[in-house]
Amino acid sequence: MSPDERDGRAATGTPSSVHLDGITKRFPGVIANDDVDLEVERGTIHALIGENGAGKTTLMNVLYGLYEPTAGTVRIDGEPQTFEDPGDAMDVGIGMIHQHFMLVDTMTVAENVVLGNEPTKWGGIVTDRARANRETQALADRYGLEVEPTELIEEISVGEQQRVEILKTLYRGADILILDEPTAVLTPQEVESLFDILRELIAEGKTIIFITHKLGEALEVADEISVLRTGELVGTVDAETATREELARMMVGRDVLLEVDKPAASRGDLVLDVEDATVEDDRGVVAADSVSLGVHEGEVVGIAGVDGNGQSELIEAITGLRKLTSGTITFDGRDITTDSRRSRVSAGMAYVAEDRQKRSLVMEYELRRNGLLGRQHLRPFSDGRLIDWGATADYVDDVIEAYDVRPTDPSAKAHSLSGGNQQKFIVGREFERDPSLVIASQPTRGVDIGSIEFIHNRLLELRADGKAVLVVSSKLDEVTQLSDRLAVMYDGDLIAVVDPETVTENELGLLMAGERPEDLDLDGARIRGTPA
Amino acid sequence: MTDDSGSIRERGSAALDRLVDATAAERITISLASLLFAIIVGAVLVFVSGFVADCADPFIYLPGLGYGCYNPLEVYWTMLTGSFGSMTVIGQTLLQTTLLLFTGLSVAVAFRAGLFNIGTQGQMVLGALATALVVLELAAYVPDNAIGMVIVLSTGVIVGAIVGGFWGMIPGLMKAYANAHEVITTIMLNFVAIGIAFWLVQVHVGDLTTDSVQTETVPAVARFPATISGSRFSVIALIGALLVAAGIYLLYTRTVIGYDLRTSGIQETAAEYGGVNAKRNIVTSMTLSGVLGGIAGAIYVMMVQYRWQAGIPPLGFDGIAVSILAGNNPVGVIPAALLFGSLKTGSVAVDLSLGVPGELVEVLRGLIILFIAMPEFFRMIGKRFGYGNGSVATDGGEAQ
Repeated sequence: MSPDERDGRAATGTPSSVHLDGITKRFPGVIANDDVDLEVERGTIHALIGENGAGKTTLMNVLYGLYEPTAGTVRIDGEPQTFEDPGDAMDVGIGMIHQHFMLVDTMTVAENVVLGNEPTKWGGIVTDRARANRETQALADRYGLEVEPTELIEEISVGEQQRVEILKTLYRGADILILDEPTAVLTPQEVESLFDILRELIAEGKTIIFITHKLGEALEVADEISVLRTGELVGTVDAETATREELARMMVGRDVLLEVDKPAASRGDLVLDVEDATVEDDRGVVAADSVSLGVHEGEVVGIAGVDGNGQSELIEAITGLRKLTSGTITFDGRDITTDSRRSRVSAGMAYVAEDRQKRSLVMEYELRRNGLLGRQHLRPFSDGRLIDWGATADYVDDVIEAYDVRPTDPSAKAHSLSGGNQQKFIVGREFERDPSLVIASQPTRGVDIGSIEFIHNRLLELRADGKAVLVVSSKLDEVTQLSDRLAVMYDGDLIAVVDPETVTENELGLLMAGERPEDLDLDGARIRGTPA
Repeated sequence: MTDDSGSIRERGSAALDRLVDATAAERITISLASLLFAIIVGAVLVFVSGFVADCADPFIYLPGLGYGCYNPLEVYWTMLTGSFGSMTVIGQTLLQTTLLLFTGLSVAVAFRAGLFNIGTQGQMVLGALATALVVLELAAYVPDNAIGMVIVLSTGVIVGAIVGGFWGMIPGLMKAYANAHEVITTIMLNFVAIGIAFWLVQVHVGDLTTDSVQTETVPAVARFPATISGSRFSVIALIGALLVAAGIYLLYTRTVIGYDLRTSGIQETAAEYGGVNAKRNIVTSMTLSGVLGGIAGAIYVMMVQYRWQAGIPPLGFDGIAVSILAGNNPVGVIPAALLFGSLKTGSVAVDLSLGVPGELVEVLRGLIILFIAMPEFFRMIGKRFGYGNGSVATDGGEAQ
């Protein structure tokens, strides 16, 4: 069966392609979806937005055949459907592109695309590579997806890998494509080209459902936007007429300040001084090369960059989780280059790690035990030998209350919390210890709008209290809004420090994609050469 | 909308959720119910087997089936009286319980810290041999009185602990610094330990006047004083085991060291984030586990066998079952070890006095262990795969 034949079922004449009718999905103790109706017209892009835990992914998992709904029906092209598993959903043309790609790194683009449905020759015993390449190329041309079929996955960019994921789904005959947070890993330019691809796909009669919590993207690319809140459908609006404020209100249930209100900085002494830091990654490859950076009291310094350009390794070196190959780190006037992680924590360094489920939380521990993590040797949590569970419980209760962590039960295990609540708990635990330096890596990754606003405000309060704050984020709006100075990292180099007030998103995007600052039309004042 | 396979799957996961979230009281109830079930199933099995066996005095005749040899009630009654019916058998039960307490705690200490030590047996065998050799040597230099006994017994325990600890440290080092999984390395080190001990005793340090592979018998000064006549059980060893259980419980619930050990084993990356040297702690946990295995060996030599002899019973492996049955809780190990200990002595009685074949008694014992351990086992598996309260990903895509 060629891809063209698979596409044969596209036109059946019914206007609505996906019709979810009264979908309810109940888990023990939780109603993830409550009587949700959703109608998606053929040949349109439908954005599904909502906070963490609003039930977006559950709803799509019902549509994709991963969950069976407790009540309600799924109709595709007017036909009621029952899916046992994603294979059944695939059979009626539903494909899902997950946030984390499922590609084999050491295989070529074409091999990944045809994986599981390989064209064969010699009576079915050998993969017909030439035909796989040809079919991949034909499919790519048809939908305007630029890929090179013979390249290896490990050698192509994240944006290209996503295109391969889309091709894979199309090759399997998908008419309805579900994309889960597709822009999370892309540069602004890559996002633009993804949107072009999506527009091309609907022009060809495909239907797209797009899960996001970035309002701007939903408004830009979608035809219609449906908002979920606590498992219920709040409403579906026309993207032409909707506004960001209106959508944010629908998502959160109250008015939200989208812009951060930031008073002028009053910069004090240098707190953190990184000089010529060179750091290797786990494979021994230089990840950050001779990076110099300083953070002062009362100042927020941001580091922007696409994930994987050395930010993580640099931060781990500063926080004491990774050794420096060369260079020095000074903290509060003291050389801490060779200090242990423990002594850095004791000296007042708070750290919200990028990978919260790996680093900042012990997933099997209750919140109470997690409240101790990093401070278990320090008063008032212990005398160095015996843990003071009373003092710990008081502290954890305070954090839960002040940071609105849900559930409010300190004996809840970390893994039972949603990503946003996990993050609020970590942020609270780290911020409330009166640190002199706060390092926050992707502080709002996977966190809903209401909590983002809260975390941003807390960071700015710390700044107002004269703390030094270092924020790493792959979200451009986040770093530009929070930072007083913004450093951009590309391929291990800190290539520029810019003024976030005046730099444009386009310029930042180009810097993040590796354009040298001197090649850009940035005027001299906006490039603050050597930081610190 | 729902069909059979789907509803079974969903019901299964709902049951797992409930099991993982069960309270302590619920878990005890589950265990007691399991015990009852195991006894009923075992009774049917014994009853039916009785019709296949030949015996001089059948207890029942059923038309069509023939003569039945075994009375299930009698079997279970004998099992009970055989483990608690007289002071002597109570002594034997407590003797087994003491040993199982140490091996069970050895496994639980590692398990609590997220590490699976299957090497308790090897640690025990080597600890036992070291103890036997040292006390045989030392006994000649101490007075033959209470003071001498205190010196020899405490030295014996310490030597067993050191050698067992060393043998536990090896897989700890391999886990921490070479990323070698402790399940594999501890299993393999069991063979190595048993082989080394056998060879040493057979060729170098054993009692060369006999053909069996064993050391000389230790003198009275190196034997725990028996508490109950007719049994070698010594209450001193039992008290020591109970103190260790309490100590480990406190270690993990109250102390910073316990917190660091546990965090390091459960989630190494988070421990590093918390300012802990996770690798060193993994080595410490395994060493501690080995220390307890080694002490079990020392007690075995000085309270049970009075010498090292090839073919030490698989107390180390029983310790794994004891620990799982106890939910790896150091306090829970106490009743679990008592249950195992009483089943061990009780089945000996059934074997000896009723003529029920030993294999069938083993089956009865196995059924009880299996039925009681299974809910805990499913609970552990369910936990591992994220079942339980609220772990349902209502928004999996963003939980990252």
